[in-house]
Amino acid sequence: MSLKDIIAPFSVWKRALEKPYTNRKPIETRPGADRYRGFHQNAIDQCIGCGTCEEICQNNAIDLVPLEGKTSSHGDSGLRPKIDYGRCCWCALCVDICPTGSLGMSNEYIWITTDPEDFRFIPGGESKPWDDRAEGYRRAEGYDLLEAERVEMPMLSFEESQKSFIEMVQGYSKEQAMEEADRCVACGICIATCPAHMDVPAYIEAIRNDDMGEGLKIVYNANPLPASCGRVCSHACEYVCAMKHKGEAISIRWLKRYIIDQIYLGDYKEILKSADESNGKKIAVIGSGPGGLSAAYYLRLLGYEITVFDANEKAGGMLRYGIPEYRLPYEQVDKDVEYIRQLGVTINQDLKIGVDRDFKSLYDEYDAIFFSTGLKDPYGLEIAGEDLPGVQSGLDILDEVTKGKTPDIGKSVVVVGGGNVAMDAARTSRRYGAEVTILYRRREVDMPADEEEIHESQGEGCKLVTQAIPLRVEKGDSTRLKLFFGMAEMVDQGEGQRPKPVLIEGSEEVIECDSVITAIGQEADYSFIPEEIGKNLVFNRGMVQINEFRQTGDSKIFAGGDIANRKRDAISAIADGHSAAKGIDIYLTNFKEK
Amino acid sequence: MTEFNELSRQFQISDLKEQRADLHFFHASKEHAVAVLTSLKEKYGYTHLVFFTVVDHLEKNEFHLTYMLHNYEKHHDMGVVVKIARENVQMESIHHLWPAAATYQQEIREMYGVEFPGSPGLYENFALEGWEDIPPMRRDFDTKEYSDKTYYPRPGRESHDPREYMKENLYPGEAETW
Repeated sequence: MSLKDIIAPFSVWKRALEKPYTNRKPIETRPGADRYRGFHQNAIDQCIGCGTCEEICQNNAIDLVPLEGKTSSHGDSGLRPKIDYGRCCWCALCVDICPTGSLGMSNEYIWITTDPEDFRFIPGGESKPWDDRAEGYRRAEGYDLLEAERVEMPMLSFEESQKSFIEMVQGYSKEQAMEEADRCVACGICIATCPAHMDVPAYIEAIRNDDMGEGLKIVYNANPLPASCGRVCSHACEYVCAMKHKGEAISIRWLKRYIIDQIYLGDYKEILKSADESNGKKIAVIGSGPGGLSAAYYLRLLGYEITVFDANEKAGGMLRYGIPEYRLPYEQVDKDVEYIRQLGVTINQDLKIGVDRDFKSLYDEYDAIFFSTGLKDPYGLEIAGEDLPGVQSGLDILDEVTKGKTPDIGKSVVVVGGGNVAMDAARTSRRYGAEVTILYRRREVDMPADEEEIHESQGEGCKLVTQAIPLRVEKGDSTRLKLFFGMAEMVDQGEGQRPKPVLIEGSEEVIECDSVITAIGQEADYSFIPEEIGKNLVFNRGMVQINEFRQTGDSKIFAGGDIANRKRDAISAIADGHSAAKGIDIYLTNFKEK
Repeated sequence: MTEFNELSRQFQISDLKEQRADLHFFHASKEHAVAVLTSLKEKYGYTHLVFFTVVDHLEKNEFHLTYMLHNYEKHHDMGVVVKIARENVQMESIHHLWPAAATYQQEIREMYGVEFPGSPGLYENFALEGWEDIPPMRRDFDTKEYSDKTYYPRPGRESHDPREYMKENLYPGEAETW
């Protein structure tokens, strides 16, 4: 044993008066690093309750629960994530994937409570000390688990598109469709907003699985006109898409079109369910637009014998006669119609109820009637000179073109209106070589036409003049007509009301043109309904009043589509037809008078 | 790059990529990888094994082993990537070059199931004890299912499907599809 060994134990005494290295109690908390992954923060108004966080959580630590003060609305489920910190492993996948970017993590990691239940809470919904903490984990810039931009749709250039009626949107290839389908987070928030409540995530999944048959079945569950809808649907779904918060919405409409484009009409009957055996009951459907065809399809599936009566040469209603071919080729309308016909629905064309056959005889012969006759009579401008030759309605032009005639529009056209009919008439006129000006009395943001229609019409060279109110039409000098119009100012109408255009006194401008095409809306024609039956129906501002089953004041008569539905688009008419089919079935099964 | 050019005369290496001035990556064939690593260590001064890891490329049915080496004189890092098939996956051990590699290999075997014959302590538990499932870092391991199976749910938890919840609240009874 050396001397050192003996002295060594005493050497520690030299530290006896120094500050100890041990931590003091209470422990001084050290803040987490700036990007530390601590307790979650959720911007509760930014969150839409899509549940993508719940879906990705590998520990099942997240539940979606109702939160007081939040209700379901379009684009917001009203649910919010509640996290079980007994299971959370702080991996932050939920933060990385959150489509709205509402979810983050604070750098707080110390929190003491004696009740284990306290460790389950709704971040942002239940107040916590770290709610406003700036430090903590956020998704890093440029690091994305989701693709914000949609797969670009191959389209004809504007130079090309305005030369012909060839379909402008060319459709996705398989690779493109699968890539686009892959962007969907399958939250299902769009389903509530789709008037027909189509199961969008399910058919997008079918695309991911490359199972077109399954896709077709899912689509037909709620929409028997998908070849048309896949092209011209007003796609309300895309406006509420969770991915829209991150960038661009999923191309839901075009993915639906992709499914339909992959399957030949001849193969439909192998895939879709066939009609039930006939139950001997007969239903008359008046009008072969989307509402009528949808009702016919679903009623036929239930075994009813359906006869459709339609005044036009071909079925499809406004899909065929109101939408130009570059947006919806006629063979696509045919595809939808033909399958419904193949199921055994009889469609009588060129037969106008009230002229060729009276309504009363249908009423007596059939067990129930569904009518969806649409809005056919265009509103007039109600200004001087509107009966001059050269003033015509947008619908008439579109109708003529569908029938293969060349419309008499001349070299320059003014289209009055801001809806889809106005855009269609304008772009159709461009295709006949006319210079086109669109006059609209409100602002561009107020235009009821689809965004892309407005964009494409301008791309094709239509000039848009907003806040312009037509005053009178006169005979032109070098051109056929002169249209005088005044400028309007937007006058605020108070909260919740849209501003009203008011003519600025004394403002007057003139455009020389060969045609004035009016497209400011249209109204229904109910003259085919005889007085004795009509008196039972209730009309309000030109619309038939119906209940949730699309039943009118006469229990045997059901109605839907533009005449009964303020949304006035194909998909709403389809939904009406579907609901009416259900209503008619319930009515005929349960409430039929002896 | 000198090292790469010289080595490529002798060995199957490819895909040189300059990540930064002081960091390069290249690919080496499975057969030549250990010889390449030996050369880098003995001849080119890459004496330090910074780390050794694996990425599971399930879609390509490959594991990518990455050996990261450091040269203290040049202050340069070299990443050697070796692609190996996912089935019956085996790789030559490098514990004779760096004894610490045995620990990496022990971990990789446990987490990814890559075998390194002859590596000391290869089958000793690293982090998992009594693991019987497929190696947990493999991409085909279903973490969520394991979590469900292993950890019981806390009583009183319930969740809602957004689509069902919205249906109940926004359009009950309407247009159910049949």
